[in-house]
Amino acid sequence: MQGYIYPNEFELQWSLLIVLYPYITGLVAGAFILASLERVFNVKEVQPTYRLALLTALAFLLVAPLPLQAHLGHPERSYEIFLTPNRKSAMAMFGFVYAWYLTVVLLLEIWFEYRKDMVLWAREAVGWRRWLYYGLTLGATDLSDPSLKFDDAAGRWITVIGIPSAFLLHGYVGFIFGSVKANPWWSSVLMPVVFLFSAIVSGIALVLILYVVISLFRSRPVDMRCLDKLASFLFYAMIVDVSLEMLDFVHRLYESEESIDILSQMIESRLFISLIVLQLVLGTLIPLGFLGVFSPALHRGLARGSDELRRLIYLMSAVLVEIGIFSIRWNVVIGGQLFSKSLRGLTVYKVELLGLEGLATTLVLLALPFVILWVLVKVLPPWEEPAGLRRLDGV
Amino acid sequence: MKVPQQVARLGVVFAAAIAALLVARSFLVPETFGELGHYRAAAIDSIAAHPKKYAGHQECAACHDDLAAKRAAGNHRGVACEVCHGPQQAHVDAPLDVKPPAPRDRGFCPLCHAYNPSRPTGFPQIDPVAHNPLRPCITCHDPHAPVPPAVPEECSACHGQIARQKALSHHANLPCVTCHQVPQQHKVTPRVIRPTKPAERAFCGRCHAEGASGPAEAPRIDLAAHHPRYLCWQCHYPHYPETQ
Repeated sequence: MQGYIYPNEFELQWSLLIVLYPYITGLVAGAFILASLERVFNVKEVQPTYRLALLTALAFLLVAPLPLQAHLGHPERSYEIFLTPNRKSAMAMFGFVYAWYLTVVLLLEIWFEYRKDMVLWAREAVGWRRWLYYGLTLGATDLSDPSLKFDDAAGRWITVIGIPSAFLLHGYVGFIFGSVKANPWWSSVLMPVVFLFSAIVSGIALVLILYVVISLFRSRPVDMRCLDKLASFLFYAMIVDVSLEMLDFVHRLYESEESIDILSQMIESRLFISLIVLQLVLGTLIPLGFLGVFSPALHRGLARGSDELRRLIYLMSAVLVEIGIFSIRWNVVIGGQLFSKSLRGLTVYKVELLGLEGLATTLVLLALPFVILWVLVKVLPPWEEPAGLRRLDGV
Repeated sequence: MKVPQQVARLGVVFAAAIAALLVARSFLVPETFGELGHYRAAAIDSIAAHPKKYAGHQECAACHDDLAAKRAAGNHRGVACEVCHGPQQAHVDAPLDVKPPAPRDRGFCPLCHAYNPSRPTGFPQIDPVAHNPLRPCITCHDPHAPVPPAVPEECSACHGQIARQKALSHHANLPCVTCHQVPQQHKVTPRVIRPTKPAERAFCGRCHAEGASGPAEAPRIDLAAHHPRYLCWQCHYPHYPETQ
């Protein structure tokens, strides 16, 4: 603690789990928007990651509410937000934003995308797998041409609806922070937009990492055209994201409201590592530099390394980006609670290790989507294999 | 137009989910929800049915009218009886069997009156460590009619630690004002107007210089030769018992 703070500001109410929540929803929205690139905007190069991106979005979306549940004092009452919707509370509308995104967007799109395969798998498989796939098709086993065309059209329309929905899902999280008018670190109309673009950045980086790592484990070659395209989009998204954040930053400096002194103090002391070192240097400048030089984003690549080198650089950049985006979430959520509303002092936040809102829970919740993704990939293999090679057991 | 098979199947699933939500709503949403606002109206009655713990100061005044009148006229008029005496419905129900506690230890009053910069300016605040140490607050202050902070009669009211040290030192018999000049205003705005400290070596020399007229047991030194560049109290803290 330093300077003067009010007694109720000593302890932070929104802990590490609330850092995790926007991080995870960001990954969901980002992965989905990447998937929409192929579906709506016809970017054929990223097609190998289309299904993987959808499954990734689903795996992370299933985990997204868990940090909130673990943070609640009475998680067993949380279903009540569905029963008695409060339209005047942005937080209380979360359930509906989430349910809309989960059921109407993600599950439906995945269902239409996989329906043909699921019908074929149900015909080929035996035992409980047969019933599993049959159940997943909901009995819609018609594989006639008009029917398959309908699947495709429906998938496309759902993606079209899905893009604004993904914006809504993550923009909503930024909206929650941006509308806290008493907090000068949060209260900014740019917050939802900044959240959104950082979400796209983190989603693309995540799918890139997963694609490279999974290909490695499956001993399959990585499609370098796809990876180059992913790296280029990651670069473009980062440019927009950084520009928006700089706009926010410059705007704050130019406005120079009364809070500027304490916020500068906070950046120089409490947030130095997480904002300057992790977010700005490691999470933004270094990956931007590497991607700018090696990806074909600028003038077909300023330097063309070998495929192997580019793979490594993309992977390293994507990992750094993920660390940087997590730092952004940390800086927003924790930073907003470190300075006193008296604008005269700073408090400290120490992460607990084993508590319900501690580091251990966070790591478990962060690992859980990968376990779910593993199961999803087993049940719904996202790879397009030559007919003879396809194995029903997925990986 | 023929409805595609997919739409029909999905329609059934969504209809079932929405129906399940509506059925769950009809069972789970309390009957009186929303009557008065976004909450269960009957909650008011169920909360009102909780056993009473606080009686309210009117109940106290019914018997303790003298104290109630005294409090109502004093600076604690905004502090209800049960703030200090605790919830006393049990005492109202059985006055002879249940006696309310009266906090007499020094830990209680500082809950409101310990110095804290976030308290309003002018609110009576003390430093519990330094303010008349060990004495219960009620020896000097009447909690039912506390008067505004009186001008301290003795330095020890605020400088208790120093007073206790000095009482064991060789200077025990010297009044504080022997060495410190204390402007009257110091008692009103202690942090703005400060007492003086001896500013010359000759001041201590009045007792401690060679040939001084002070008590015979006071140590004597040669003022001219003994570390002439320092003030005496820069090395010899005069309040310490072990001061040489």
